[in-house]
Parts: sequence; structure tokens; C-alpha cells
Amino acid sequence: MTWGGFAGRVLYVDLTKGTVRTEPLSNDLAEKFIGGFGLTVRLAYDRIAPGTEPLAPANPAVIGAGPLVGTNLPSTSRVYAVSKLPSNGTVSWCGAGGVTFGYLFKNAGYDHLVIEGRAERPVYLQIFDDQVAIKDAGSLWGRTVEQTCETLWREIGRPLGIVAIGPAGENLSAMSMAYVDRIATIGRGGFGAVLGSKNLKAIAVRGTKGLEVADRKAYRRLSRELFKSIREYPYLEEWQRLGLLKSFSQFPVEIYEKIKQRRVACVSCPAGCKDVVQIQDGEFAGLTAYSSSVVNLFTPMLYGFKDYRQSVKLVHDLDGYGLDMFEFFGVMNFALALAEKGVIPRREIDPEIVINSLDSMTAWARKTACREGLGRVLADGFSGMLAEFGPEAHESAPSLVKGMHPYVGPGSALAWNLFGTQELGQVMDPRGPHVGAGGSPTYFARRPLEVFPKHLTRMGVPPEALARILPGPAQGQAPQDLKVGRLLKYSHAWFVTLGSMGICARAQINRFYSAELAAELYQAVTGIPTDLPGLRRKVDRVWTLYKMANLREGFDRKIDHLPDQWFQAAGFKNYVTDRPLGRGEAEEMINDYYDEWGWDPETGIPSDQQLEALGLRDL
Amino acid sequence: MSKYQMEAATENCTGCLRCQLACSDLFTKTFNPSVARLRVELSGPDCSIFFTDDCNECGVCADHCFYGALRKIPQEAVQ
Repeated sequence: MTWGGFAGRVLYVDLTKGTVRTEPLSNDLAEKFIGGFGLTVRLAYDRIAPGTEPLAPANPAVIGAGPLVGTNLPSTSRVYAVSKLPSNGTVSWCGAGGVTFGYLFKNAGYDHLVIEGRAERPVYLQIFDDQVAIKDAGSLWGRTVEQTCETLWREIGRPLGIVAIGPAGENLSAMSMAYVDRIATIGRGGFGAVLGSKNLKAIAVRGTKGLEVADRKAYRRLSRELFKSIREYPYLEEWQRLGLLKSFSQFPVEIYEKIKQRRVACVSCPAGCKDVVQIQDGEFAGLTAYSSSVVNLFTPMLYGFKDYRQSVKLVHDLDGYGLDMFEFFGVMNFALALAEKGVIPRREIDPEIVINSLDSMTAWARKTACREGLGRVLADGFSGMLAEFGPEAHESAPSLVKGMHPYVGPGSALAWNLFGTQELGQVMDPRGPHVGAGGSPTYFARRPLEVFPKHLTRMGVPPEALARILPGPAQGQAPQDLKVGRLLKYSHAWFVTLGSMGICARAQINRFYSAELAAELYQAVTGIPTDLPGLRRKVDRVWTLYKMANLREGFDRKIDHLPDQWFQAAGFKNYVTDRPLGRGEAEEMINDYYDEWGWDPETGIPSDQQLEALGLRDL
Repeated sequence: MSKYQMEAATENCTGCLRCQLACSDLFTKTFNPSVARLRVELSGPDCSIFFTDDCNECGVCADHCFYGALRKIPQEAVQ
């Protein structure tokens, strides 16, 4: 490996055999799949045998950080994982702000980590540069995410980047996630359970090797310009002060200011969207909570919690267990509906399910994370409940997408009702619902269509596609319509661009980047000659391979199911016209999406010619 | 004598380590926070920033800070 940016090695860990080995990162693969997200998909594709059970030892957890991670380019800390997840069995990407894990992993001399097998007893992985050890985690098993991280930091010392799971992951809950440095989440859909199934409690990494860029002169010029544009951004100070709260007016800023202890940034990030808060009074005075945003800590208020202190306390506990809050609330609402109908026997409901009660939700969080009583079923999420309670449960099921609770939409935590790329993307991403806008301008409600071409060009949409996405009466006139399905292709492509390099996809960050700049930065950092058309081709290769990884599991268009509730009263609305969205209209968007990719609209399968052109035919 | 005197306002620090990245880049031509001439240690709500004996108070760390956690004060202003 002679390129800059890359550490140049892949670390392989076999927990069954208790062995570790490193291999040089293939220059050829790195060049074809960019790095980070793209290379993680590529490495996982080779190692996930179709039909593998998500919680089987053979299901690998592949983790990676892109070539920009470890540089000082703004917000280049992203870490990705790919694995089959238990919530729906899809081959899924998982992503997180890398906090300190990303740069320390790269500095330890690795771009990717492939974990396979299952340890005989609980272990954690300790990586200090070239010294890699599988260590006993008996004393950590059963501990919360926070306790685990605090113990490792106390016993090993800092700096130490940590990926850890809580009891929900240990107990193989489909609602479990892993946590990065205890403050960022990775793997909605059960990535925590994948690590738990391997008896892997945590990965702790420290690296001191440093990272070089290939073309320092170009790098300095580009980073200086980027730095300046961020410095001059008029909303930077407000963003640094409030983070995501700036975009969620329903939450009280004055309360946030009262409990704010510190804002935390992933390495190299100028925005610092993560929060450390401390409750100042009442029953939980002195409780410190950590979150990828205070917005998460306040989210139970959207479910009826009246006291913000109770809201913070509940999320603190859910994070401790390593449970996905959104899925948890969805499952609890479903359980309540089934209990009221008598589908779940009365004796199983202990304590009463009261969605806006801290006592009730705390008890159910524990029962779910530890599989106590009815929690043994709830831990398996919606699919587990549907399997357990049969046809009557199906009649009462909420809107589900690929077996999971949609993050956005009618009946979801975020009741945004305009149907943009994020909303359709919940169905079209093979993994199902997740958080992330992919940088599309539809993330913000009712932007005038006139501003779209500028943003779309920045995202890398080629000129010939603009007219298909924004049909207008004539060239040069204002667009009259927005084809959300077609735009979603480029939203996914932009997400791949950012993720494969290691750049944060948050709207507040990616606004400073463009696809053209990304190509220039990639070339400056790695030394790999890169132009925008070439980068687009690599991006298409990555997302197509990700689709193929799911197609070979049998996940074709049949699972791109749009929930009925989305088209009922108070359902989604058309982004442009504000009229209620029809099912036929949304199905047409799916057709558009596949057509824009050039995939078969009936099945979602790419053609042989496309695979040949992308160099994927042999796979 | 150095041109600046460095000041840290730890209450503003987010732990982004852009300071350590810039310092290591300047002196070693690599991005390697472990060899930087200042150290930021963030531990929950607590933060400490200290400069190693090698620090020559060049101020590059402050130039790269987005949060006002580091300031370089010209020596003439100090005196």
C-alpha cells in the first residue's frame, strides 16, 4: 500500500479459534470501492454466505473507516459496519460518528476489522497498534454500556476508542445497538446482538502510528478553503450552541441550557452535535447522561412524558441497556395494543404498560433487555411478536417497513408528513428504516424547487439527470415537479460518497462538501487519480454491490413494502403539492428509483450488462 | 522567545482534537495526535488541556480551533 490516507491493513479476528491476523489491504479493492462504507460492503460481501443466520458464528461483523478518517478535514470520523442483522435478516450497513474510535483505529494501523466466530466465554478485543489481544470480559458481562466504557477507560486509560454493547446485545435482542465511546450509536436493527452472539462485549483501540496524505500541497489548499467556508458560515455559532436542537423547535431550549454540561464532537468536527447533560434538581439530580444529541434524550416527551427529567432518565437507562429507543417505543405501543385486545394474556402484563410512565417504561426496558417474562418475546422486536401472537397480532400491527418501526412518518416518533427521499428511503434502503437524509434537500420541508438544482449538482447529480428529477416546461424555466424516486438514487449515491471517504452525512456538515470537492480531496489524500465521473462510477459500484448482497438473500422488490397506514387519514403528503400521497403514486416512485438505477423495476435486479460495466459480473 | 502565549478555555472544548491534528501535522508532517505538543483529555463533562515541554507556542492549535477553546495571545499584549 503506497497510497495516503489508508492505513493499509485489514485485521481479521476469529473468536472461535481465538486467533488474530493482519493482511495488507488490497490496492485493487481499495481503488475500486473507495474505502470506508464501500470497502466494508465489499469485504462483507465475500464473507457473508447467503442464508447465514444473523446470530450464527459465521455471520461476520465487518467494520471500517474511510481514507479521510484520521485527517483534520472537517467531520471525517465516520465508522461503518456491515453484517446481517437479526431484526429483518438483511445485509445491513450500520454507521456512527466515530467519536475517537475512528481515528484511533486508523492510527493503530488498520482500515478494516473483520470479526468472525464465537468466543467460548465473554471477551473484549484490545487493539494497541500491532498488539491485538482477545481479553476476558467476564467482569464486564451484564454491565451497562456506560459502566463498560468507564471500566475500560479507568483500567486501560485514555485515549481509548471503544465500541461496546449492553445487556440487550448480550441477550441477543433485535432492538439492540452497539455504542461508540458510549455516546454514539451504531447498528439499529440489532448490531449489538451480532456482537453479543459472538460473546464480544467491546472493542477497545489505541493507535499511535499517524497518517500521511499523498499530496500535501493540494490537501492544504483544499482544506484551507473548506475551513474558511465553515468559519464564515453564519449559523455555525448557533449550531455549535444548540446542535440538533436547532432543528427541533418542539423541545425547550431553556431546559437544555439549564442541563447542558458539554457539547462533544467527533474528532475533527466543527459542529459537535453530541451532548453531555446533567439533571440539576428533583429525584434524579446529579444524573449525567450522554447522547448523540439531547434531542434523543427529550424524545420520550413526544411519547407523552411530561417531565423532561424523567425523559432524560429513561433514555439514559435505555442507552445503558443498549436498546434502540425508537424501536422500543414502537414495540411497547404494539404490546399495549395487543394487551388491550386480549391477544397478550393478562398475566403477562406486569407491570401495566403505560407509555408515558417512567416506572412502567423503565421496568419494561429491563425486562426486554434481560428477556424477563414477556420481555423474552419483546426482545425479538416486531417480527418476534408477530411470530408469537399470530394472525390476531398482524391485524393490530403498526406501520412496519422490513419488520421495523419507521423512524419518520405517521405514527412514528418524527411525524413529518412530507414524502421526500428520507421517507421513501426507509423502504428503498435494503436494510429498512434508519436515520439519515443522505444530504437530499427534501430533508427540509417545502423548499422551493428553484433551489434544488444547486443542491443536486453539489451532491453529484449529473446534468442529464436533473431534467428527469425536476421536470419543467422548458429548459431554463422553474421546475414544476419533483421525482422523489429518481432523486433518491442520487441521495443514496451521495451517502455512499460521504460514507466511503469517512465524511459525516449530517445535513449541517455535508452542506460544506460537494461531490466535486470530495473527488479532489480523495485524490489529494490518497494519491489515487480521481475525477467526478470516475468517482460516480465507483459509488454506483458500491451501492449496486450492497443491493446484490441482499438480492442473493432473496430480498428483491417484494420486500419494498409500503405500509397501508402511510396512505390513510393523516398519512403522508406529496412533497410538492401537499396533497395526500396515494399508494399508486408511491409505487411509481419505486419504479422511478429502479429505473434511475437502470435496475429491473419488477424485481430490483441489475442487468448483466450493468454488472459487467461496473466490474461486478464475476461476483 | 515565542511570539504567543497560549491560553486554554476548557469549558468550550468539545474534544474534536483538531488542535492535536494540526500540531502533529506541522511538526511531523503526519496526522498523529499522539505526538502533538498539547493534549486534550475529555472525560465525561470534564476536560483538561495541557501543553508539553516541547510546545513553542506557535499558535497553530488555536488557529484550527472552531470552539474558542484555545487562544494565542501576542507576547506584546501579555507584557
